[in-house]
Amino acid sequence: MIKCVVWDLDNTLLDGVYLESGPASRPPANPQMLGVLRELAGRGIVHAIASRNPPEAAAYAARVAGTEFAAAECGWDAKPDAIRRIVAELGIGADAVAFVDDEPLERAEVSAALPAVLVLAPEDAAEAASWPQFSPAVVTQEARRRGQMYAQRRRRQAEARAYGGSRDEFLRRNGTRVVIEPATAADVPRLHELSVRTHQFNSVGQQLGARALAELTGSAGHRVITLRLSDRFGDDGIVGGCVIDTRAGLGWAVPLLMMSCRAMGRGVIDALLTWLCRAAAADGAAEVRMPCRLTPRNVPLRVALAAAGFRASPGSAAADRAVYRCELTGALPPLPSWALDRTRE
Amino acid sequence: MTSAAQQAVADELRQILAQVTESAALRAIPLDFPLLQAGAGLDSLTATLLLRKVHRQFAVDVAREDLNLSCLATLGTLAEFIEQRIAARADPVPLTGPASPPGMTGPAEPANGKG
Repeated sequence: MIKCVVWDLDNTLLDGVYLESGPASRPPANPQMLGVLRELAGRGIVHAIASRNPPEAAAYAARVAGTEFAAAECGWDAKPDAIRRIVAELGIGADAVAFVDDEPLERAEVSAALPAVLVLAPEDAAEAASWPQFSPAVVTQEARRRGQMYAQRRRRQAEARAYGGSRDEFLRRNGTRVVIEPATAADVPRLHELSVRTHQFNSVGQQLGARALAELTGSAGHRVITLRLSDRFGDDGIVGGCVIDTRAGLGWAVPLLMMSCRAMGRGVIDALLTWLCRAAAADGAAEVRMPCRLTPRNVPLRVALAAAGFRASPGSAAADRAVYRCELTGALPPLPSWALDRTRE
Repeated sequence: MTSAAQQAVADELRQILAQVTESAALRAIPLDFPLLQAGAGLDSLTATLLLRKVHRQFAVDVAREDLNLSCLATLGTLAEFIEQRIAARADPVPLTGPASPPGMTGPAEPANGKG
């Protein structure tokens, strides 16, 4: 499945050559390519630029295309290097990238260096948009705004690097807001999407189908929780959630907990784990229990669990399983000031 | 008591900590300095980067060997954990041990992996 289209600018996304015309008469966007770009953006596919033009050409292209690019690599580097940096920045695989360029030589170079990349000439791009690898089954609100969110993340990270204070001060300064609330039927597609796409913060590494999620959302013995994230840079929508089994008698069990890695470092996972413990204690539970599958990828979740006071005992079934427990005794830490608990409204 | 070997590991850890948190002040922290949250301020992201660098530099896969990551309590506990694993390696090992399962923080993984 293609997640990102990397565009050349001159005679591809632009109808002409950026530097050939003076500042007063830059080339407009190519209407056909712009149509493809907008159609794909509507399906949650993000766009990036790899161009030999100076960096200001990226801002110009964003203006004439009326869109935000998830990443832009402008300069004299070879296109494969530009694509490698884009892939690293977005955290996607090369097999999730399509590259559109009018120069046969550039296309050949990318094909040779990065065989996983789908390489297209502009005249093929319009038809390619109807191919299955450009057509995800589910397109959520969050997916449609993905390109914009990558651009927001870039601005946030630039400010974070320049900011000298602590992470918590930075979160508060940016008006970070994490809203914890019960999932509704309308949230099911996004929760399903998260169960498919999350790895670093996924407790069981298992996809949960839309039907199973819908049943859990309406089940009396379960609670399904969503986490929404926003700050002054923008609204990320639903970035995480969990399923709670409240039937367990002595404690709450959490068969699934997940969060998008885009929300990493923004106080979301701390807010969720703190909320889980406080809400379970308020419900009379003696502990919160979370079975986890230990993978090389979900170490970040284990760090968060350790920091929140969860302790594991090895599971009996397999070496890569463990049950993390937090005993709800004594004073529990308060919810971070950026978290808003809407589960009791 | 802290051995010279542990001190040497701790010194290297201070450098790694300063790198992953981009905070030069961590080059001078004492052994009993907490690493998570209020202490060195490690969060999921920076702690994972730290563990990955430790794996690469000392060939100790903390995530695989310490289920609860409790050795992340302080700089001293992490240095001790790593130094003990290194020392154990120097001891004779049986020739027919179980094969090591794949690493938890292997270098193959990109620093900014998907979701």
